[in-house]
Amino acid sequence: MIHRLLATLCFAFLFGTAAGAEPFVQGGPIGSQTPDGYNALGPVVKQPIEFPHYRHARDMGINCMYCHTGARRGYVSVIPRIDKCIGCHQNIESVRNKPRIKKLFEYWDKKQPIPWKKVNDLPDYVRFNHERHIQRFYFRQNRPVREVCGYCHGDVANMTVDRRVKALSMGWCISCHQKDHKESDTNMKTSHGPGECWQCHK
Amino acid sequence: MSITNLLNNWSFYRQKRPYQGQYDLNRQYSEYKWAMALDLDICTGCNACTTACYAENNLPVVGKKRFNQGHVMHWIRIERYWDENMGEFPEQGASFLPMMCQQCEEAPCETVCPVGATSHTNDGLNSQNYHRCVGSRYCSVNCPYKVRYFNFWNYPSTAWPAPLPDQLNPDVTVRTKGIMEKCTFCVQRLNEAKSRARTEYRLVRDGEVVPACVQACPTSAITFGNIVDPKSKVAMMWKNQQVDLYKDMQEKDNSVRGYRILEDLRPFPSVMYLERVRDMEA
Repeated sequence: MIHRLLATLCFAFLFGTAAGAEPFVQGGPIGSQTPDGYNALGPVVKQPIEFPHYRHARDMGINCMYCHTGARRGYVSVIPRIDKCIGCHQNIESVRNKPRIKKLFEYWDKKQPIPWKKVNDLPDYVRFNHERHIQRFYFRQNRPVREVCGYCHGDVANMTVDRRVKALSMGWCISCHQKDHKESDTNMKTSHGPGECWQCHK
Repeated sequence: MSITNLLNNWSFYRQKRPYQGQYDLNRQYSEYKWAMALDLDICTGCNACTTACYAENNLPVVGKKRFNQGHVMHWIRIERYWDENMGEFPEQGASFLPMMCQQCEEAPCETVCPVGATSHTNDGLNSQNYHRCVGSRYCSVNCPYKVRYFNFWNYPSTAWPAPLPDQLNPDVTVRTKGIMEKCTFCVQRLNEAKSRARTEYRLVRDGEVVPACVQACPTSAITFGNIVDPKSKVAMMWKNQQVDLYKDMQEKDNSVRGYRILEDLRPFPSVMYLERVRDMEA
């Protein structure tokens, strides 16, 4: 805790951001390191609303899959529709006048979807199945959700706008698929991910 | 493997499949081995399977000129065989034989690929990885069934004018020039069914997933399924026809119709055909 506080203060001092600044600074060009120690492997994505993941996932402790509902059900994890945001935020009066929330309600009043941009984008010839990874590690092995999602997405709960911090390349996928993962906490049997071309390549 | 070892164990190595150790003759597929049974007596040669395959797998229509040049891209084709000795029953017409990749257990194409773009999966499929393929066409030369098709042209630029790309199947890559391609048993459907089944802690049920050709067949001439499951329809058909996946010469009586094409070349194909019954005395 002290560490965290000190670190935050250090960043605030070094980079001139306001105290209590957002924990994740998006960082510079691809390949550089963000001030808080992430490898910024993906490009900086400018979202229509700077969605604060840290506020929802870390401070409020909301499960990732409360909004990304597809992750446990299918291939894509789904970016939530605007009514998902409104469903909560129409009842949260305390933040109603914050600029981002105002922007959110502007979209809502205009009956427009928010044009979110994709951050973790795989090539078109790759199929990645969120369902299998979530079912295996979250539901079957009861690992914490932030850890399970973090295998591929990094520590999103400490980010504001998500940025790709993992390689998401084939060798990187394979490096995990070749590891022996325990099948469950009570079972010492291990298995590893599939290694055939057609499992991921269309 | 020394020469003496080879000579001493000649019969063993003669029988050995190329992937011994990884895929040996006595290998038991633990979960899935996809296979097909195709009844030529029921097949009417209507080409619905071909059409369905074009729609499902983003196959380009190449046009008459390129068809005549042999550049056609049909993963499943209806071969027609005309009886030369028509004799007194000329109305018998042609015999139809839908021919697609036979997903051989000992596939000749796999051994010759210089870059390993085609390999065997754990489900017994003969996979083709478009992104590794360099277009040597060696596999097509070595395929006894001639079911591998090469993209001689950049078909995506011509085959689907303006609104048509919207109908492409997003689960299948649109292949570009210089790529070899072939029937996949609709692997995108199989993968989806498999992951759905795994989530529910079970195996894929019989009939839960079928390729597009099987789905489209109006007479249900094609049966598709998991041959590991002895109760699946396709496994029972194979058993009833006394066709064994791992035998190159089937020992069976003459009353059954099942056979596999070019079995004596020992590719151990996964597709069994059922001979057409002809009433020669009518």
